[in-house]
Amino acid sequence: MGHPYIPNTAETRQQMLREIGVASIDELFVDIPKKIRLTHELNLPQAMSELEVKRHVQAMLSKNKPFTQMPSFLGGGVWPHHVPAHVRSLVQRSEFLTAYTPYQPEVSQGMLQALFEYQSLICELTAMDVANASMYDWATAVGEAALMCARVTGRRKVLVPELMSSERYAVLQNYAAGPGLEPVKLDYDWSTGQLDLSKLRAGLNEDVACVYVENPSYLGFLETGVDEIADAAHKVGALFVVGVNPISLGLLKAPGDYGADIVVGEGQPLGNPVSFGGPTLGLFACRDDPKLLRQIPGRIIGMTTTLDGKARGYTMVLQTREQHIRRERATSNICSNEALCAVAAAIYLTSLGPRGLRELAEICAANASYAIEKLGAIDGLEAPIFNAPHFNEFALRCTQPKLKIEKFNAALLKQGIQGGKPIRKEFPEFGETALLCLTELHTKADIDRLADAAAKAVGAKR
Amino acid sequence: MKAGGHEIPEGLHYTKDHEWIKFEGNLVRIGVTDYAQKQLGDVVYVELPEVGKSVKQATEPKVKEMEMGAVESIKAVSAVYSPLSGRVKETNQTLQDRPELINTAPYGEGWICVLEPSNLQVEQKNLMNAAAYAEFLKGLK
Repeated sequence: MGHPYIPNTAETRQQMLREIGVASIDELFVDIPKKIRLTHELNLPQAMSELEVKRHVQAMLSKNKPFTQMPSFLGGGVWPHHVPAHVRSLVQRSEFLTAYTPYQPEVSQGMLQALFEYQSLICELTAMDVANASMYDWATAVGEAALMCARVTGRRKVLVPELMSSERYAVLQNYAAGPGLEPVKLDYDWSTGQLDLSKLRAGLNEDVACVYVENPSYLGFLETGVDEIADAAHKVGALFVVGVNPISLGLLKAPGDYGADIVVGEGQPLGNPVSFGGPTLGLFACRDDPKLLRQIPGRIIGMTTTLDGKARGYTMVLQTREQHIRRERATSNICSNEALCAVAAAIYLTSLGPRGLRELAEICAANASYAIEKLGAIDGLEAPIFNAPHFNEFALRCTQPKLKIEKFNAALLKQGIQGGKPIRKEFPEFGETALLCLTELHTKADIDRLADAAAKAVGAKR
Repeated sequence: MKAGGHEIPEGLHYTKDHEWIKFEGNLVRIGVTDYAQKQLGDVVYVELPEVGKSVKQATEPKVKEMEMGAVESIKAVSAVYSPLSGRVKETNQTLQDRPELINTAPYGEGWICVLEPSNLQVEQKNLMNAAAYAEFLKGLK
């Protein structure tokens, strides 16, 4: 017998070599210069049996501390939420769980219907009219939105808040570089973190393709001047793009109700787990305007009726925007989407319903508010650092002299708590600061533990 | 006249990209030919050029400045190339709601735009008359 996982044996290999008229496997590599060829066997451990592999992997996994054993306050773009068991079990049905694109209408009505329902839910949630069947993540959705605004307006400037997520900004720059778009960062109000409206108005002119804001912002505060931002953008013929955490829309006004033309966001919190930062799901929706509709990137599933008019049917629509038909003139080079994550989002939102989503958003906001109250009361800590309403995240500053935020987090970790995401490298102007995230997964006891641990970490008297 | 079942009205000018040109005083009206609409199939959307846009007469290789919109059918998108250099004066807004006019009346209500040519004297010689276009179509088979 050969290797348990490699079906061909030494004899079959010899047979194959004879068949193609080659003496040894090495002979297949003669075209590769000798000096860059490996001359010895790879230094790999002996193959393990199934049982040995299981033990080995379990030993490695046991080093991980799950959320249930160690409360974590990490968020910043990927947020931990409870994923109901039925969401997992439904998306794992073999009709949905497939390695390749199930879009032929004659065999994939179930998948197409699920994606159509996903699009409808995203439209309802954002108060937009058209949603695509998803992008890769929030960051790439921002990039695509900027390109779309440039195509629609024929302009190149993309105004973004200085305090947007630096990772999303980096992806936006990537998207902007090729077609020569020009992202411009807009100054913020030092006290609230919100966009400085006078600076925005000064920066707006007829070169501006769009104004982008994040609401809730990356640092957790709400952008309350959205009506004014929308008006100012529209006055110069620019589009208004809003990025969201969709859970917040259980509580906050939908972007479509305050003038957004395009809404993007991160759909991961809608029924998708936090597994080392993913999988992610890019939300993308826009108003029903033929000018926008023709320029939206990605796949769109449409509903129609069968020829005899008796049954509903689902099929991909407006494919002439896409690369396989339009080639280099396509609206986007995206050739895929996050179909399974989108289906999970659809199942999750459907099971929550409007009331469930509202309750969930309220719990998240209330937990953040309680954490702010507890942490803000500790000497040597400041929370939040912005004087503005917050949703479920906020920035916490360590004002204890010489206490680095990493040291503070290490002290929390020693007490069995994963602290917030340090943001000093992204925004050094705010000092020793971390971004904390609260969701329904955090109990009152978790937050009290965090506050106790934090007080100890800064050496505050309580 | 007719060639291979395609209508080719006399008095119009034609290009190898299957556009027709009608001289109207200082201006020219432009559309796509019967042959082109048959090749495209059912037209579902017409992307019109912006009024005021400057365009260049299409030559090989094609560049963006020669494009003046696109005609989209269910399974294909074709750029409309400008048969002459000039400035777009007017576009056929009816096509926004009734793109099928490209199929039903390619030489009439399905016109695409009106152009103010800037170099007509020189560029005119690159256009074909109906007989030459009919010959050109025969050569395509």
